Amino acid sequence: MDARRTVDAVWKFESARIIAGLTRMVHDVGLAEELAQDALVAALEQWPSGGVPDNPGAWLMAVAKRRAIDHIRRSQRLDHTGEDPADARADERGNEPEREQDDVLRLMFLSCHPVLPTEARVALTLRLLGGLTAAEIARAFLVTKQTIARRIAEAKRTLAQRQVPFELPTGAELAERLASVLEVVYLVFNEGYSATAGDDLIRPELCQEALRLGRQLAELAPHEAEVHGLVALMEIQASRSAARTGPSGAPVQLHEQNRGLWDPLHIRRGFAAMLRARDAGGPPGPYVLQAAIAVCHAQARTAEDTDWQQIATLYGALVQLLPTPVVQLNRAVAVGRAQGPEAGLALVDALVADPTLRDYHLLPGVRGDLLTRLGRNAEARLEFQRAASLTRNAAENAFLHRRADEIAPGGGPGLTLGEAVRDFLGRADLDPGTIRSYGQTLRRLRLALGDGLPLASLTADHVERVLTTAWAGAAPRTWNRHRSAVRSFGAWAALPDLAAGVDRRADDRPPAPSIEPAQIEALWSSADVPLRERTLWILLHESGAPVHSVLSLNVEDLDLDDRRARASGSWVNWRSGTARLLPGLVAGRHRGPVFLADRRPGSARMPAAADLCPETGRRRLSYERAEYLFKQATRKLDPSGDGYTLRQLKPSADQ
Amino acid sequence: MRYLMISTGGDAPDEKLFTEMGKFIEELTAAGVLLATGGLEPSGIRMTSSGDEITVTDGPFAEAKEAAAGFALVEVRSKEEALELARRFRKIVGDGESVIQQVFGP
Repeated sequence: MDARRTVDAVWKFESARIIAGLTRMVHDVGLAEELAQDALVAALEQWPSGGVPDNPGAWLMAVAKRRAIDHIRRSQRLDHTGEDPADARADERGNEPEREQDDVLRLMFLSCHPVLPTEARVALTLRLLGGLTAAEIARAFLVTKQTIARRIAEAKRTLAQRQVPFELPTGAELAERLASVLEVVYLVFNEGYSATAGDDLIRPELCQEALRLGRQLAELAPHEAEVHGLVALMEIQASRSAARTGPSGAPVQLHEQNRGLWDPLHIRRGFAAMLRARDAGGPPGPYVLQAAIAVCHAQARTAEDTDWQQIATLYGALVQLLPTPVVQLNRAVAVGRAQGPEAGLALVDALVADPTLRDYHLLPGVRGDLLTRLGRNAEARLEFQRAASLTRNAAENAFLHRRADEIAPGGGPGLTLGEAVRDFLGRADLDPGTIRSYGQTLRRLRLALGDGLPLASLTADHVERVLTTAWAGAAPRTWNRHRSAVRSFGAWAALPDLAAGVDRRADDRPPAPSIEPAQIEALWSSADVPLRERTLWILLHESGAPVHSVLSLNVEDLDLDDRRARASGSWVNWRSGTARLLPGLVAGRHRGPVFLADRRPGSARMPAAADLCPETGRRRLSYERAEYLFKQATRKLDPSGDGYTLRQLKPSADQ
Repeated sequence: MRYLMISTGGDAPDEKLFTEMGKFIEELTAAGVLLATGGLEPSGIRMTSSGDEITVTDGPFAEAKEAAAGFALVEVRSKEEALELARRFRKIVGDGESVIQQVFGP
């Protein structure tokens, strides 16, 4: 057998304990991990020839501790202050497993410390507690290995700089710190259970890693009910993995799952964890409540046997602790089952204005379901169609369309919102920029209200609700842009008051300040700027002209001798910097755009003739592209790290 | 991935073996690896089918040194991890045999 892989397997079992023990000795988790890695290297050198020792964990620990003591000695020789390494060693002799366990728990609290950003906590925990390599973590989260390595390195640095102690939190701090640990574990689980990215709906290795961390935590902190609650929740959710997807990989809803596929071993372990949570006592926290709901589902032999009364009660308690829109929606479903569709619908309708749910396809799906049960078929049909248009999952889309089609169509013929928007945007007199801008606004209306909504029943109230839900926090310019799109659409559709509920907002935001002269100097002196960019930037700075005017310049407009050009009805003037560069950029061209894109356009995206260079076949450089390149190039200069906009090249009045 | 390990043989169990075994099981449980474990009746009942015929036999009765038997269901990340656990188990129980098989699906 491959000795390397054996060493790796041993390492994954032992690394947390070793790193935890070393961290207590050297008070620096980064250094502790390095020392542990040294021991791992020693194992890789010695085990393939000498064989794996009987107790490989103890072997690794002994080597690592020797290195730690060497290290402490060395640093003491440098400064004569630290503790006697003999103490550290004496400390090691009383090597009770209990203290080792406490060290592992300390390590968990450390790697999930609130001073770290959540992503860093996740990476560091999988690294230190799970023994996973950066490459393994990267694969599970579908990011690059470098990203993970950087997150881990930064996390260690932060912990060292902030001098986060290696300790077990107590009192009021314990609850907060424990919540952070549980959050990290559940995050890992959810990333595996409902993969937010990638082709597979479930990534089992992450679920397993989370379960393992949770079970470990349950042994380390056996008196914390929430820990057992989380373990119960994860075990029961994991029990459904095989039933959650159909043969083609499409998701299967809980009430439609084949309960025979639920893994009884996981369920039993979940129930056991739930009992331990109950024994630990205290008022039930969010994980215990969620686990209790999962237990209710697991106990029902068929979907019809589900104790919805109990589940609705539990959601009622959960919503007090965790008032998120998704929990509220789930509560509405449970109430709809327990007390009838009327009660459920009342709760759902209260959620419609919540911006976080605006693209959540389950909301119209749940509404449609409740409306069907109330016999309000026309509305239900619309909701299912809307739900279908919101989901990105093909199987789900088909399922929702099927549900919509099953309902007998009601109401008379007439133009629907979807048809009207299509006709409106399809007019010949709109330029592409306007179509894109209007399209964004109207797409939001269609998604929120449904393509099937009869145009005649579209009201100002609808529009107000949709715009407020989607863009209440947007900048005034953005808000006004959406408003004018609606007004334009309303005028076209003979619904003149469509934007009546939407007020124009004053644009009180000052324009972004000009770039500081020092930064401009640095920009001009950077060597690796291509000629096109350099010319454009200097021209913008020297002329102070609007960006779109400068990009719209054609070669035939240029008056090189007088250093000026005619653009959009006004003059663009420049000075010596531009004058030196322009001839080289134009280089023998006689007509067409001055600033050209890098490539020729594909046949499908052919621009208007005015934006095409007759000599090179390339199109005019777009504002978006030019802006992007400038942002990228100035990221290092900008103290905020975002990079500047081209508009900021215009010198300020006092420069 | 899950592995089922069925073990036979081993030294006659004494106090020391029980203690070590208890510690080992505790460790695996704490690590979140061990899903289920238990002892097995050494010989068991055998059922074979051939065509329409089902035959039930007791035994075969194992030799005395194979008297102990047990199983463990573990959840690990790799075959190597399963083998490492089996290796530790064999170090504790002494001479005998373990069969380690991956378990597919629930």
